[in-house]
Amino acid sequence: MGEQIVVTPVRHVSLTVSRGDFIIIVGRSGSGKTTLLNLAAGLVKPTSGEVFIGDANVRNMNDKQLSLLRNRKIGFVFQYPSLLSSLNALENVALPASFGPGQRRRNANARASELLELMGLSERLESYPRQLSAGEQKRVVIARSLMNAPEVVLADEPTSDLDEQTEQEIMTLMRQIHAEGVTIMIVTHSLELMRYATRALRMEDGVLTDITGMAGGIRGKS
Amino acid sequence: MKILGVILLLLALTITILPQYNTCAHEGKFITLANGKTIEMKCSWTARAEIAVGSTLAVVGLMMILSRRKESGIFLAILGIVLGVFVILLPTEMIGVCTRMAASCKTLMKPALIGLGSGAIAVSVTALLLAVTGKEKEA
Amino acid sequence: MNSIRLALKNIKGTSFRSLVIFLCVMGVAGFFLSTTLILRGTEHSLNVGLERLGADIIVVPEGADTKLESALLMGKPTEIWMPRGIMEQVAAVPGVEKVSPQVFLSTLLGAHCCSASEMFLVVFDPETDFTIRPFLEEELGRGLGRGEVIGGRYVFLPPGDKYIYVYAHPLTLVGNLEKTGTGLDQTMFFTVETAQDIALTSQTKAVEVLNFDSNLISAIMVKTAPGTDPHEVAFDIRMDVAGVESIETPLLFGQYRNQLTGMLWGFLVALGIGWGLSVALIGLVFSMAANERRREISVLRALGATRSFVFRSLLAEVGLLTLGASLLGILVAAVAIYLLSDFISTSMEIPFLFPSWGSFLILCAIGIALALGMVILAALFPALRMSRQEPALAMRE
Repeated sequence: MGEQIVVTPVRHVSLTVSRGDFIIIVGRSGSGKTTLLNLAAGLVKPTSGEVFIGDANVRNMNDKQLSLLRNRKIGFVFQYPSLLSSLNALENVALPASFGPGQRRRNANARASELLELMGLSERLESYPRQLSAGEQKRVVIARSLMNAPEVVLADEPTSDLDEQTEQEIMTLMRQIHAEGVTIMIVTHSLELMRYATRALRMEDGVLTDITGMAGGIRGKS
Repeated sequence: MKILGVILLLLALTITILPQYNTCAHEGKFITLANGKTIEMKCSWTARAEIAVGSTLAVVGLMMILSRRKESGIFLAILGIVLGVFVILLPTEMIGVCTRMAASCKTLMKPALIGLGSGAIAVSVTALLLAVTGKEKEA
Repeated sequence: MNSIRLALKNIKGTSFRSLVIFLCVMGVAGFFLSTTLILRGTEHSLNVGLERLGADIIVVPEGADTKLESALLMGKPTEIWMPRGIMEQVAAVPGVEKVSPQVFLSTLLGAHCCSASEMFLVVFDPETDFTIRPFLEEELGRGLGRGEVIGGRYVFLPPGDKYIYVYAHPLTLVGNLEKTGTGLDQTMFFTVETAQDIALTSQTKAVEVLNFDSNLISAIMVKTAPGTDPHEVAFDIRMDVAGVESIETPLLFGQYRNQLTGMLWGFLVALGIGWGLSVALIGLVFSMAANERRREISVLRALGATRSFVFRSLLAEVGLLTLGASLLGILVAAVAIYLLSDFISTSMEIPFLFPSWGSFLILCAIGIALALGMVILAALFPALRMSRQEPALAMRE
């Protein structure tokens, strides 16, 4: 009676992500991969162990420092629809620049417009999320993740709820972004996506295992 | 624009009908002076004039509901503003109402007409802004 | 996209909830302003009216103070009489500098001879008067002649006529005094000579005869000597002169003022209850809204928004709504009270004069501050809670 149940979604994880990596982490639902991503982004602090983003130790940083770090260095692609419903596509993409320095804010709309054009959405700048398809919304989210030219993009199930063709389009975009020097880390339950990766890992019961040899992915710089 | 037209139509109907029911009018609309002369009350003339202005405003409201062109919307809105101004001027400057302090035309009818006239002006100004900034529709 | 712009976008996007908060705030602000305007307007009217009286003390027959108040407050004609000889007794009281008699009469109700019904008539002695003379100097630059009257704001010439007929006697209206919102607005002032002429005419031409006895007066206006205490002088008059009541003019309408104070407390209690309920309702609506937007807020945090940005944005949302709603509520209330001031006065039977700009703006500022305080109190803790939530936890479905 009154026993406390402790859940440890991530345990025994030692992972170094190098610049230029394209990492895919596979695992079934509840395996802890989303929590791993949240730890990597500094969205949650570890109960034990350390997380470094560059040279910065997440444990020692306060909220303001973490927010600034996330804003400047990390782009995030969420699993669920994460566009702000009251903003149109352009405003959603430009949003990260609002939390950055003045220069970025001033050029925000121009950059957002460029990114949406890159995503093939130049005609949809003023559309609101409810007016966009699932695939279009995902592309807007990817564009937003690139707004502040991050060093790394973290994507949580970027192709869930998408049909096969759209999935391929999204992963092709991810490849293009990677080719421009951005480090990518994707967590997914789909084994199909492993072929896009330079490194593949499996997450099971909070434990991470390297399965790169099993994946037929592209080889890039590490 | 259609919604504004409906609001304007309702305001116009109230402007037309309301003044007919102030109690001064029910008292026979005439006052008898000390020298025996009888004259029609000012508020009675105002009420009649408001029928003219109110009916015209009602037509403007109706046309606003039916209108689809940007230019028509602009003209109707300007007309609505002008008529709204007259709704206010009639009981205040142009004709007036009874001067007795407790007269219902003074305590209720006049403030109501000023309020309704202001409402008509506000609705028309909103319609004007919408017409000017909105996209043109085909007839 | 700063916190204000984001707030404006969110207001647009959550129209029903925003409308609930908007209407709540508008109602509270409007109710506050209309009740305080009415009370302040009544007080303003009383103060202007008292200033118009010009006397430090008014002496009336014993027991007639209530009649005097209702005549001055609402212009309801009254008849009170005392012998003229009392004036010399009052003048002899130490501290009394000047005395001047006044006689109260009224027009006939609905009679053919009279163009005005229910008008309060005040007869004054131009030789000794010091209350009406300042206004005559201001308006006409001279005193009143025989057959001339000066009236309050609502005394008017009937359309088409050159004269006002009182008891069939023609009178020339030479001017109108500024509005006070009290019974003085329905009062006509003329001299003793004119009153005697009216009385004479009424004997042959009026429906009823006007009895004007020059040995009787209704009230004595008293000016106290500089440096004396009017309270002490009033007391001495009561002691030295039998059968009279001496009322210090600042204390006039005392019973009425007590009633106003009672009304004020009643309004404040109602306002307090309304305010409290609105805080609860807005707090609930805001909590619900914030809860639904948990995920959106965690997205903002993940993109780099600090806790302080999120907090500011949430408060800005309700703050902007409140500012708009309270301004609109105040505007509607002020315009309605201004337009309906005559209706308020006649239907509630209270003196009313729209307060000065200074008072009005202060009341508006208090109304807005009250509304802002209400909303910030309601939204503060939900906003704080939302801004401090762990972004990762909030993202879970």
